[in-house]
Amino acid sequence: MTFPGLPSLEFGLAAALVQAAELPHVVEPTIVWVAVAYFAVVTVIGAWATRRTRTAGDFFVAGKGIGLVALSLSVMSATLSGFAFIGGPGLVYSIGLGAMFIILPAALTNAMGAWVLAKRLRLMAEVRRTITLPDAIGARYRSPLAQGLAGVSILVAVIGYMATNILALGLVIDAVFGIGVGWGIWLGMGITMAYAVGGGIVAGIYTDVFQGSLMALASVLVFLFTLRAGGGLSGISETILAADPGFLGPWGHLTPIAALSFFFVFGLGSLGQPHVIHKFFMLRDPRRLRWYPLVTTLALIVAMLLYFGVGVSVKALTVQGAMDPLANPDSATPLFLINFTPLILAALVFSGVAAAIMSTVNSFMNIGAAAMMHDIPVSLGKRVENELLWGRICTVIISISAALMAQHSGMLVAFLGVFGFGLFASTLVPALAIGLNWQGATRAGAIASIASGLIVTLLFETLAFFELYSFPMGVTVAGLSLVLSILLFFGVSWVTRDSAARTLDPDIRIVMEA
Amino acid sequence: MSSSGSGAEASPDARFDAHRWALGLIVASAVAIGVAYGSAFLPGGTPDWAPWLFMIGTSVIMVATMAVGAARGGSIGRLWIPFTLVLVVVMGGFGTVLALPPVNPVDPDLWLGLPPRAAVVLYVIGFLPFFLVPVAYAWTFDELTLGEGDLERVRDEALRARREMPK
Repeated sequence: MTFPGLPSLEFGLAAALVQAAELPHVVEPTIVWVAVAYFAVVTVIGAWATRRTRTAGDFFVAGKGIGLVALSLSVMSATLSGFAFIGGPGLVYSIGLGAMFIILPAALTNAMGAWVLAKRLRLMAEVRRTITLPDAIGARYRSPLAQGLAGVSILVAVIGYMATNILALGLVIDAVFGIGVGWGIWLGMGITMAYAVGGGIVAGIYTDVFQGSLMALASVLVFLFTLRAGGGLSGISETILAADPGFLGPWGHLTPIAALSFFFVFGLGSLGQPHVIHKFFMLRDPRRLRWYPLVTTLALIVAMLLYFGVGVSVKALTVQGAMDPLANPDSATPLFLINFTPLILAALVFSGVAAAIMSTVNSFMNIGAAAMMHDIPVSLGKRVENELLWGRICTVIISISAALMAQHSGMLVAFLGVFGFGLFASTLVPALAIGLNWQGATRAGAIASIASGLIVTLLFETLAFFELYSFPMGVTVAGLSLVLSILLFFGVSWVTRDSAARTLDPDIRIVMEA
Repeated sequence: MSSSGSGAEASPDARFDAHRWALGLIVASAVAIGVAYGSAFLPGGTPDWAPWLFMIGTSVIMVATMAVGAARGGSIGRLWIPFTLVLVVVMGGFGTVLALPPVNPVDPDLWLGLPPRAAVVLYVIGFLPFFLVPVAYAWTFDELTLGEGDLERVRDEALRARREMPK
């Protein structure tokens, strides 16, 4: 996974999150037909969801009517994206165990999200007409400015994230159908947009249930094949250790600070990922949250077996000479599937990859449209009349913009994808996750932390992208920006602490005290 | 820094405000992580103590954030047990990884198929918390998170509060 023009792996999250290089073509009738069947199922779910979507509440928060399994599988699908199946194994192949620090906090993050956000957000949806995360921030601090800033941050990050994901989808579709990346982008985006515009988040949630099940099943099966191909985990380890002991060192080929930085950013930063936490608004019965961390964490761990298994197995196979060393690490999964698994399983995984990317894109379309149609106008004192219609129109605008960007902006796509996760984390974690649990937080603290996250992330990622300035080895912009944002949030809230009680409405206080 | 409680009334015998402590730990951990990052800018590269500081900071900040979210009336009740265990597991795991020597590549000692330090990373830090926090969340949900009557009470109280709010 190399990007001409990007300074180094320490550009880090770029290498980790962005898939921008072409994949090997795997055009086989079985793979094509499974993919066609998969798209047909998604289309049917989309049509069904469109009939169920009658209000803006249906479109953006599924009418607050989904069950636990749907929530869990949908969160898992939105969390993973195609990175878990393509970019992730490639990263493990490249840098060894250090790549595992991206997914290592998974056993903690869902329970953390449940304690910190799930109950509060869901209860807030009971007492206010809250349909977006910036809505929740606006209500928490009684501040249209905070809501607007959060909306802008989300919109900026969403378009970048969507562009990278749509490009990845185009690459996967091209690998399966051999139609070229450009057509792949528009075909994938067209299908996703069709069900997202019609069925909104209802379509997204129920396609996620189908897609999540597919991803988990495929991951388990592929993991078993990786063990078999590599001679078991002990065989894989012995082979790799003989040739490259650092690969299976605790940090892989990263420095300890770089690996720990991944753990910090992807652990605490998970509390600021809107495409995931937005789904807490949608649960039908808040008391079903009881099983949410258990079910979701289990699903995530199962779905990530492939991430580790393919990465280490392909490394061992290249050491043994059973596979040629990879010129493009992103081809680790496709080449392993073609060479070491039955064709039907390869087909299932390729559909699973497309599924993962589409579910993430769908979630971004929805929250991006909500920011554009709802949060930014509300912060300016305006409210659109027909939110359902405008939600659909904004979904189309965002989707087409992101697809055009994916197709025409070259390396800019990689750049845009870099800062998405970090921008979400630094702008939303303090103001939302901590702010909903601390009555001493103030409006000024929230605005300062959101603004700092936005400015620091954009500034330093831009400087790094244009090779004007990079942080030293191990220091990521996302991590540093998150730390600064947290400290500013507490510092400014402390300085302005006299205003804390004044910016907290009584009904929101009740939610925070529940 | 006012904690102001994130729960109803603190129990009269509560002497330890876990919520306030957890907030303090979040700030202290963020400072620790910031210092560890900052040390990378020093001439001569990252000092040896920086990964230790970062590891302590990142372990504490995640557990403290959970505690802030879980606290009701300043207390986390029985959850101090799983939270302490998770802290021990994660911080102890990272500490072990930093302290253990590298494996001998010629005749490697493997734990469940992996070199010892890799095994600690994946099985202890990555997997063991699954049996602690999600299970603790489910186990204590009724008592410490959202009980049978809590939802109705929140709806009623919030409705009453909104009626009394100035227009």
